[in-house]
Amino acid sequence: MKRLSELLGIRPCTLIYLLLISFSLTTFLVAKMGFSGLGLSLMVLFLALIKGQLVGSYFMGLGRVRGIWRWPVFIWLFIPGILIGMAFYLSYP
Amino acid sequence: MTADRSVLQSNYPPGDLAIWIFILAELTVFAVFFAAYAFTRLQHVELFNEYQLTLDREAALINTLALITSSYFVVRAVSAIKVDDRRRCVHWLLAAISMGLLFLIVKTFEYVHHYSEGINLSSNTFYMFYLSLTFFHFMHVIMGMVILAAIAVMAARGKYSRQEHTGIESGASYWHMVDLVWLILFPLVYVMR
Amino acid sequence: MQYQSQAVAKPYFIAAIALFVAQVLFGLIMGLQYVVGDFLFPEIPFNVARMVHTNALIVWLLMAFMGASYYLVPEEAETELYSPALATLMFWVFLVAAALTVAGYLLLSYSTLAEITMNKLLPTMGREFLEQPTITKIGIVIVALAFLFNVGMTILRGRKTVINLVLLLGLTGLAVFFLFAFYNPVNLVLDKYFWWWVVHLWVEGVWELILGAILAFVLVKTTGVDREVIEKWLYVIIAMTLITGIVGTGHHYYWIGTPEYWQWWGSIFSAMEPIPFFMMTVFAFNVVNKRRRDHPNKPAMLWALGTAVMAFLGAGVWGFLHTLSPVNYYTHGSQITAAHGHMAFYGAYVMINITIISYAMPLLRGRNAANSAKSQIWEMWSFWLMTISMVFITLFLTGAGILQAYLQRMGENPQPFMVVQEHISLFYWLREIAGVIFLIGLVVYIASFFVGQNDPEATTAN
Ligand code: HEM
Ligand code: HEM
Ligand SMILES: [Fe+2]
Repeated sequence: MKRLSELLGIRPCTLIYLLLISFSLTTFLVAKMGFSGLGLSLMVLFLALIKGQLVGSYFMGLGRVRGIWRWPVFIWLFIPGILIGMAFYLSYP
Repeated sequence: MTADRSVLQSNYPPGDLAIWIFILAELTVFAVFFAAYAFTRLQHVELFNEYQLTLDREAALINTLALITSSYFVVRAVSAIKVDDRRRCVHWLLAAISMGLLFLIVKTFEYVHHYSEGINLSSNTFYMFYLSLTFFHFMHVIMGMVILAAIAVMAARGKYSRQEHTGIESGASYWHMVDLVWLILFPLVYVMR
Repeated sequence: MQYQSQAVAKPYFIAAIALFVAQVLFGLIMGLQYVVGDFLFPEIPFNVARMVHTNALIVWLLMAFMGASYYLVPEEAETELYSPALATLMFWVFLVAAALTVAGYLLLSYSTLAEITMNKLLPTMGREFLEQPTITKIGIVIVALAFLFNVGMTILRGRKTVINLVLLLGLTGLAVFFLFAFYNPVNLVLDKYFWWWVVHLWVEGVWELILGAILAFVLVKTTGVDREVIEKWLYVIIAMTLITGIVGTGHHYYWIGTPEYWQWWGSIFSAMEPIPFFMMTVFAFNVVNKRRRDHPNKPAMLWALGTAVMAFLGAGVWGFLHTLSPVNYYTHGSQITAAHGHMAFYGAYVMINITIISYAMPLLRGRNAANSAKSQIWEMWSFWLMTISMVFITLFLTGAGILQAYLQRMGENPQPFMVVQEHISLFYWLREIAGVIFLIGLVVYIASFFVGQNDPEATTAN
């Protein structure tokens, strides 16, 4: 991330910001175009989890933390992510 | 990259540990709520799919962008205080608060719209979850804005500096949490079907 | 004791302990009536004993909270109490009102009591925990207002610490929610709905703030840990308490005719209520581990840590057990509820009050810091006797409750209430035995005030 942002000549946090915005737009377009179905739902969920992890690591600064405090946001995304994914998986006959 | 990281590494997250414990507790409540939504949907797939379409996705997108932007502004505010630029720091915080305000306004319009259609918590299970989840989050946005306003005032009074800015980092972490929750809430309630 | 006026706390503490004894005696009477149905009939019917048991509990806890406040507020505010005379006067008003009310319960039939206290003018009687005649309730409000005024003025006049402010917030909430005791709508759903605003919002809301503040005070005093650390914990604990506890009221709105969304709100938010109790446990142990000195008053420390653990077990664990609506569907109003009620009330509010009494009483009685070693040994014995027997009371009632829910509400052929009661009577006998041991513990506790009075104070060395 850092290299890429240097290459682009912007701050790392700005790069993250742009990523978050584009992921959100993608999610919105999926909805707008009327897509539905298991594959798309899981993709949208996965994008959301990635977004969450970006916020946790870069905005909240956990990426720079050593030890257990590095993980709370990851765990918070992981467990509900699995549960939500499972519930949606089961909801398709 | 690894080299300059090790300089920055610490054992604790930015801000006061107390706010982090609070954040974790709050995140847990939301996590339970999300899982409850997903598993209840399992029992009423058609109902959820039908009424999800009545939600205003444009409004939700605007709100997503507002919160992400506001979070970004808060990151900039923290960077500013780390180089002792108090004026900028206050400006970024005010910008972040105004994004929060935008969120509240848009969300209020959504609520007014639902209300005018006679929708309430007892209308059906989908609306029950939709209203409960978003309203609980709404209250957190207000709470986060109060915290941001408090640290903006303190920053303007010169209470923070490059050496001492735990207060700003604590408030920033709380605000990012509010953003983080919405990032899951938005696709879960408005998009996934 | 740093301020003369703190001495007004002493009669409050003594009266509280006396009422505690009465409460437990009536508990034992009822416990026996559970298995020997006509015990003491017709002198003391079960419903009367129950009223005395629960009302004595509430009143002595309130008295002890007031005593605790009169003791700690001046010390925190670093100024004398605004009006010691008012505090003493209110003590007597409260005591006489409580004594008259209990006498009324025991000597008159409840309907006669209602009649002569003119319940008709403003009907508030006849509801669990709020059985007091309306004039008693008005008396409680007057005492509470005078008390809040006194404590509030003291805080305004002196140093404003976080402990004092949290305490004041809790006490104000206590008074405000009590006002719902006067609201008695004819509609039974609404009646129950607001009844919980007193009962639930007390024990799982504002009382928790009082608990947190008293615990923090005793820990500051006995461990010498930085106030800042303790204050931060207090903030987080009260924030979590309010977020989970207020909406958590919904766990009483599952089956009373309230809208369905309470199933969700109640389940989700109340399932999080153990979090602040857990934080309290972590907080207490953390602070004690970081202690800067060893305080000679060891029982006070023991009670403080005991409160943190037992409140978590009784409220957090036993509360969680039956708080999700699909579980509560089977356990509602069973002995599981009673098991939880006993351990939660004991672990949280009985123990926090004994904690502050244990810390303050030696000082109020002229010691420098602590009782003699002998007295401390007695007190610590009483801690273990009461706490362990309460654990057993809880376990026996839980056993009874599980069987009850199973036999009466699940399975192929659910059996009638009284038939099931026969089946589980063994558990009631065991509960009664544990109750007797509890009483012995209480006697040992009271004895600890009298033994070793002429011995020198304990020092940190032993
Ligand atoms: C110190 C705090 C607490 C005290 C003193 C306490 C006390 C009580 C009492 C006395 C009752 C019986 C009320 C009645 O119907 O007469 C009760 C009911 C109940 N409590 Fe608590 N409680 C506490 C905390 C909690 C917590 C934290 C939870 C949840 C995690 C909880 C869950 C419940 C539930 C679900 C009921 C209703 C039981 C039923 O349906 O019969 N309580 N509590
Ligand atoms: C000697 C020990 C005790 C015995 C044998 C005992 C017995 C009883 C009995 C038989 C009931 C009535 C349950 C019913 O209505 O079916 C009761 C209710 C109650 N007791 Fe005790 N008790 C004892 C000690 C305590 C203590 C120390 C506390 C407080 C810390 C306490 C708090 C309560 C409460 C809050 C209720 C109302 C519970 C509810 O509505 O579920 N009891 N007790
Ligand atoms: Fe409750």
